Amino acid sequence: MTGLRSWLLRRLLLGAGQTAAVVLLVFALTEALPGDAAVALAGDQPDPARIAALREAMHLDRPAAERFGAWAAGLLHGDLGSSLVSGRPVSSYLADGFGPTLLLAALTLLLLVPLAGGLGVLAARYEGRLVDRLISAVTLAVYAVPEFAFGVLLVTVVALHLGWLPPTAVGYGGELLAHPAVLVLPVLVLLSRPVCSLARLVRAGMIDALAAPYIAHARRYGIPGVRIRYAHALPNALAPAAQQLARTVDWLLCGVIVVEALFVIPGLGTVLMNAVAERDVPVLQGLAVVFAGTAVVLNLAADTVVFRCTPRAGVVA
Amino acid sequence: MTRRGPGRAGRWACALAILAVPLLLALFGPLFAGEPGPHAASFTAGGGHLAGTDFVGRDVWRQVLLGGRPVVVAALAATALAYAVALPLGLFSALTHRRWLDELLMRPLDVLLAVPSLLLILLVAAVIRPGAAGIALLVALVNIPDAARAVRAAAAEAASRPVVEALRMQGESWARTALGHVARSALRTLAADAGVRLTGVLYLVATAAFLGVGAAPDAADWAVMVDRNRTGMFVQPWAVALPALLIVALTMGTNLLFDAALTGRARGARAAREPRPDHPPADDPYPGPSRWEKPTP
Repeated sequence: MTGLRSWLLRRLLLGAGQTAAVVLLVFALTEALPGDAAVALAGDQPDPARIAALREAMHLDRPAAERFGAWAAGLLHGDLGSSLVSGRPVSSYLADGFGPTLLLAALTLLLLVPLAGGLGVLAARYEGRLVDRLISAVTLAVYAVPEFAFGVLLVTVVALHLGWLPPTAVGYGGELLAHPAVLVLPVLVLLSRPVCSLARLVRAGMIDALAAPYIAHARRYGIPGVRIRYAHALPNALAPAAQQLARTVDWLLCGVIVVEALFVIPGLGTVLMNAVAERDVPVLQGLAVVFAGTAVVLNLAADTVVFRCTPRAGVVA
Repeated sequence: MTRRGPGRAGRWACALAILAVPLLLALFGPLFAGEPGPHAASFTAGGGHLAGTDFVGRDVWRQVLLGGRPVVVAALAATALAYAVALPLGLFSALTHRRWLDELLMRPLDVLLAVPSLLLILLVAAVIRPGAAGIALLVALVNIPDAARAVRAAAAEAASRPVVEALRMQGESWARTALGHVARSALRTLAADAGVRLTGVLYLVATAAFLGVGAAPDAADWAVMVDRNRTGMFVQPWAVALPALLIVALTMGTNLLFDAALTGRARGARAAREPRPDHPPADDPYPGPSRWEKPTP
């Protein structure tokens, strides 16, 4: 148990370091730019009054270190500042977009693990046969396709030609759960890449595990095939897939931004894209900290799962 | 992971067939694009236009011919740039005997790995609107941590061989040891990694352009076309479907091609990247005793 505890401590320290570095990075990227940030933010037609207002709002007369200190102290108290455009607090922006994004992410994660695991096990069970080749070919092909291109094609065929599902979430507002039909295509698009990569890893791990001597031994004992597959082989096959989960988190966070833009879902991704378009730095910073913080926490969780499953894998910490 | 002989040729043919259309369009399309015609009405089908008109009444087919090159060029440039930085970084880190230097070089990259890649690009893009060169630079930057880790892992395996120790004792220069031996023996693994990275970079470049980052809103770029023509999807689906299909073919084909090319070597490459005591790398000249291969009584 001490191994786990000391590993967990080191991993938590790395997570804390990552969080601190991310906060610093977000600030450095958005504010400590060469030149005058206010001029850069004022846009293509700089208006002197707007530049002056931006300088005032961002306290650009103070040194960068002091501004960072004030911002970071605010973060610690849960105060993310307020928007340069509307003056509303950033936390209200977050609260607006939180619901739809959480719904999308939760649904995707809920479906991701059984779907990817099932496909991987199915392909490994019929290795080399038609089912396996079909699953392998499709997962390999879809794996690299950007969500927006895949999504647009899906919308064109399923929503416009066949008319089975609504093409976007326009007109449904925040009540997505009341209209499940709206969610089908976004979740499908969001699932496309992670399912493919995880299923491939589960398949490869399962094939390796099924070829291992302990499985042959279990067969000689006469243990039923179902029990061998799910109780003995699968836990070992999941280790490489669990390691890929961390990468999947990155894809899901990127995917959420794209899918929300594509299907016009008023979530955090849409808030982020609006802030990018309006160069609303405080909103951007707040969202970036939330997104990156989520990534750090989920990475940590994925690593912990891997470590618990396979202590010999030696996860970095 | 057994591959059948006849399947391999089929996989090559399939990958090449899918990749050929978008790649040829991207390479040679601009040569056949011709002069821009007068703007017609927005989102019309037919009327002398092969694939109708787009959101400002330009010929969709002409835009398609022009729009592949920026995506492909930016992706290739970004991949090359990422390796230009990652290769020396990873090699240096793998070859140094000073552990603190290794940590100093690689640890900061671990931190960068935690930030979602698209988020990093969007953050920078919000403040300094990057052009085509800017987005290639940004995507390269985002890919450096992962690439450097891959280079380091591949090189560390080669650097631990007795040959390297012998070269070092002979007083060979660092460059000769690093480039002449370590980099060369890691080349296969790196080629596999570069293939994976190129598909990832294509994804990022196209997605960024779709989100309106790194390309002008009226640029001839497949991803931008998908985004801007979405408003007319009901009346003129081809203006969206055609570039979307080409992007799908481009990314899918690249992935399939690299997979087909590396199928035979994947085993060795994966073993080299995650050396495990019970799975010695396939090309390891000094494989230790393996507990899988114990003679059964």
